[in-house]
Amino acid sequence: MAWRIGVDSGGTFTDVCVFNDATGEVVIWKVSSTPDDPSRGITQGVEEGLQRVEGAAADVSFLGHGTTVATNALIQGRGVRTGLITTEGFRDLLEIGRQKRPDLYDLQADKPETLVTRDLRIGVSERVLADGRVETALDEAAFRAAVARLKDEGVRSVAVCFLYSFLNAAHEEAAARILAEEFPEAFAAVSHRIAPEFREFERLSTTVVNAYLGPVMHVYVQALKRKIAGLGIAVAPQLTQSNGGVIGFDTAAELPVRTVLSGPSTGVVAAQALGRMTGINNLITFDMGGTSSDVALLTDGRCRVVNEAVVHGYPLKTPMLDIHTVGAGGGSIAYVDSGGHLKVGPRSAGANPGPACYGLGNEEPTVTDANVLLQTQNPEYLLNGRMKIDQSLSRAAVARLADKLGMGVLETASGILDIVTANMAKAIRVISVQRGYDPRDYALVAFGGAGPVHAARLARELGMKRILIPRTPGVLCALGLLMTDLRTDFSATQMIRHDDATPASVGETYAALAAQADAWFAQEGIAPEARRIERSVDVRYAGQNYEIPVTLPEGPVAQASLDALHQGFLDAHRQLYGFIAENEPVQFVTFRLSAIGLVDKATFPPQEDAGPDAGAAVTGKRDVWMVEAGGFIPATLYNRDLLRPGNRIEGPAIIDQMDTTTVLPPGLVATVDPYLNLILESR
Amino acid sequence: MQQSLPHAEAAPASRLNPITIEVIGSAFASIVEEMGEALVRASYSTNIKERRDCSTALFDAHGLMLCQAEHIPMHLGSFIDFIPHVLKHYGLENIAPGDIFMGNDAYEGGGTHLPDIVVAEPIFAEGRLVAWAINTAHHSDFADRGHAHIYQEGLRIPPVRLCNKGVLQEDVQRLFLLNCQVPAERISDLRAQTAANRLGVTRMTELCAKYGTDTVLAAGAELMDYAERKMRAGISAIPDGTYRFSDTFDSESLATPLAFSVTIEVKGDEVHLDFVSPPQVRAGLNVVYTALLATVYYAVKTVVDPTVLPNAGLARPIHVTAEEGTILRCAHPAAVDGRITACQRVVDLIHGAFAQVVPNRVTAAANGSVAVASFDGRRPDKALWVYLETIGGGNGARFNKDGLDGVHVHMTNTSNLPVEAMETEYPITLMRYELVDGSGGEGTFVGGLGLRRVYRAEAECRVQVMGSRLVSRPWGLDGGGAGASGYFTLNGDRDAFENGSADLKPGDLLEIVTPGAGGYGPASRRNPEAHQRDVREGRFSA
Repeated sequence: MAWRIGVDSGGTFTDVCVFNDATGEVVIWKVSSTPDDPSRGITQGVEEGLQRVEGAAADVSFLGHGTTVATNALIQGRGVRTGLITTEGFRDLLEIGRQKRPDLYDLQADKPETLVTRDLRIGVSERVLADGRVETALDEAAFRAAVARLKDEGVRSVAVCFLYSFLNAAHEEAAARILAEEFPEAFAAVSHRIAPEFREFERLSTTVVNAYLGPVMHVYVQALKRKIAGLGIAVAPQLTQSNGGVIGFDTAAELPVRTVLSGPSTGVVAAQALGRMTGINNLITFDMGGTSSDVALLTDGRCRVVNEAVVHGYPLKTPMLDIHTVGAGGGSIAYVDSGGHLKVGPRSAGANPGPACYGLGNEEPTVTDANVLLQTQNPEYLLNGRMKIDQSLSRAAVARLADKLGMGVLETASGILDIVTANMAKAIRVISVQRGYDPRDYALVAFGGAGPVHAARLARELGMKRILIPRTPGVLCALGLLMTDLRTDFSATQMIRHDDATPASVGETYAALAAQADAWFAQEGIAPEARRIERSVDVRYAGQNYEIPVTLPEGPVAQASLDALHQGFLDAHRQLYGFIAENEPVQFVTFRLSAIGLVDKATFPPQEDAGPDAGAAVTGKRDVWMVEAGGFIPATLYNRDLLRPGNRIEGPAIIDQMDTTTVLPPGLVATVDPYLNLILESR
Repeated sequence: MQQSLPHAEAAPASRLNPITIEVIGSAFASIVEEMGEALVRASYSTNIKERRDCSTALFDAHGLMLCQAEHIPMHLGSFIDFIPHVLKHYGLENIAPGDIFMGNDAYEGGGTHLPDIVVAEPIFAEGRLVAWAINTAHHSDFADRGHAHIYQEGLRIPPVRLCNKGVLQEDVQRLFLLNCQVPAERISDLRAQTAANRLGVTRMTELCAKYGTDTVLAAGAELMDYAERKMRAGISAIPDGTYRFSDTFDSESLATPLAFSVTIEVKGDEVHLDFVSPPQVRAGLNVVYTALLATVYYAVKTVVDPTVLPNAGLARPIHVTAEEGTILRCAHPAAVDGRITACQRVVDLIHGAFAQVVPNRVTAAANGSVAVASFDGRRPDKALWVYLETIGGGNGARFNKDGLDGVHVHMTNTSNLPVEAMETEYPITLMRYELVDGSGGEGTFVGGLGLRRVYRAEAECRVQVMGSRLVSRPWGLDGGGAGASGYFTLNGDRDAFENGSADLKPGDLLEIVTPGAGGYGPASRRNPEAHQRDVREGRFSA
């Protein structure tokens, strides 16, 4: 008997997913989160989850978790007092950034808070030039003095970033050595170890965010490790990173900047696993919660990894799944602006006071109110009857908007859904059409509490033909943790033209990266047969400044692999921009290596086909407003928990379960697959 | 003398529901944004690929703007008159799918200065021309030219066909490239510009196929009406009255500062702005009418309602006058290369006048300049190189908070080039890049700090510097102090420039210091803790 446990620690709830390796049984457990110290909620959830299945802590073979600790500390400014030492003359770079102002027209807009105040930013004499030559040696005495000053100032963390450290790290290495001598108790973040890539501001920003979050993550990881061990669980816990892979706690504590998208990336990994399970490999994920929604695109079962993004206003050079977030969810408020147009979000009623129908004081209509009024969501109860709501309050709230618009109440409610759908469609266009992919070639995976409610409208808006609703849409992230591999990434910037690159020089670069990967494999205790390597190179035309990642073929680097890189770049450039420049020289910029440690994943055995008749799951009928019918039509209601593989449901229908509602409009058919997922397609 | 842009034809009789309009408007915004990303990512020259000195838009068949991406407000001036000039020269009936037009001239090409090259492609649906994809990119070329009149400033291009029914007109392209100092960059950037428009054409065609061309066009017209309604609602909320403001305008290429003034009349839901400035000058500081309009639309929008959609509708309640032949509405053959500096002062005028009636909607004066350093020289292989950068400065204090330090303000919003990219591409080393201590105006809320950049030449080259607020200072509001002026030095000498230009030898140090910005409210009311922090951080002395 062995148990695998996934824990997704969110702002409101901590979801625990316990999986029995022997039987394939999955048990879901939810507890309230403890935002002041998330490790308490996690420990409680794991303990109660194990009690529920009567499992022994000693039998736990895997514990993975997604965390919002780093994200929340960044958003709420709860990192530590941090110092910065940088090249003389450049201490303000952190604050200047790229000189762009935060909003083009809004004179009241502000930049995100600078994480190191100006008095704690110190320049020291040193200079490396663009070709990697040292022009001015590091003034070690000045560096020591700077460290001493920061120590006196009571900083807990020190970031070091010098110009061109990605080309020549000697000065940063010396800095790291001196820091360890003079101020060993401080958390040290040195830029070439965190993001050894070119463009100084983005490297600096990443280094500073890492320094700012380091001690916070360290404290958290230590506390959680202790508590988990206290339960009698022997395995070392793992944590998801923004790249979708899990990583050991100790590495996470050194590189917390790599975990800022830990939460949403887990959902994408879960969708990836669903794709493998169902054989549907081209997927667009749609995770709609109360205040925001995340979308991502998976081609051939994989989500693109971007190596740079702006997160909560801070540019980060770290591998992240290409996830796009929009500020609209079930709690988003609809209003009429001064030009008479209907708008939805980004203001949200949150969980308290929540939508108007909760009766807790909010009188503005939310997306949920529109659904309650149109009866796409249960007009009397939420959460399978656990929470009473008042439809008349939704009606009153929407009616006030309808008056301003001069439209009918129901048309207005339907309009709110159209607009929120348009917002989501816009987000999906960013990750699909804008990257050269046609959403019509993809299936939509809808999850989160509000995803399955809106999936059919969204799919129609984008011309998508198939929708996949997982068995447990509300806790998919926790499930995803049981299906992910260990993964970390290494990179080296080395600008060289394709014509000048030789198999030997590129091979040498990769040998150095592979050595780093081997050290990591050993540290994580990954057996040789479970080790995998993926390599890619960021390529551009010499003269351009944005690179396209291209996969390097497996095996030793040969001329053929360099030529394959060249061809791969041309293909990708044509797909992205619609043209290639004949005879223009092509340049390699950053060489990347991902190290993957395969772990045994939860596998779900298919269940036996029970035939198309879903009659046993019918719970009643209700009039539901369907945009396809232009008004209310009777829809059959089903209990999702009673559906069996092979069951077939024709729209109009509503399928209820504790954590969400699936809306099946007329013209669509839902079938239950052998893994109890719902597949929605046109009749 | 009063002139306004052409109006859309009357809205169609059957009004679309506001939901469909909103959905199509969201698609327009998505298209122009995608065009912008494609342009930046596929371009070669540092000014576009890293500094993002470019803009994208969609126009309707009549030449009215449907949507502009949020890039550089100044570029609107290069868009609003381009399609009308194309139509004037070629005639609607002679324009075919696959035609691509380019132009830049300030008098005959719809442009505002010669480096901003506009490229437009018509969009056809159901066999007729329904809209235009258009973009402009600042090509950093035409370096080290004179500015006595526009003939010195570079190649003047009226709208010409770069492609005829999909076929590149190589003779036209050769003529253009021969007049450029860095033709290899120009041709690559032009290719990125045409590719970006292609994307716009594809996306608009798809949109028309999905919703029907008539619906899309009707939604476009409705969105203009909507922007107009929002603008009128915002203007109505400002008390009626006449508000005047004067300021001075100085420049490295003017012997003495000049006086500019504005009279703003708010009446009901319309606003009229009249500008008075001296006769146009023999320097690249003059502003063509479309550039003045773009500036006014920007400044009024920031005050009235920053969320108004960027389309032709927002201009309808705004009326702009200025005497022809003056700096702020120049006539052929006035030089216009540095018009953005004068446009920054126009924003100061408008905000200064509105401060009298809606003081919480404006800021104290921002740095009021667009500091420019334009380098050019020869590479070891004798090829010419040109590198241009613009540098931000302080932004004005707000009624309730400090101004932003070291940012691009008002009419521009470019990114700086990373040091590690600049030094890799050009024989320049950056020695310092920092905020200028004490340059913000004091106040209850302090003005933003200016920027200092110190460059070391690694090879012989020539530099031209431009800026304003070199003599005057950005004003404070409600008792707040003025920001510091900017200056340029060469090896420490402020007088080493001739009309803004100088020759650099290896090892020479060029310093550019940009102005700070004005403070808001009396300094005596500043929160003591905030003041202590200013001193501790070295932003201000005790």
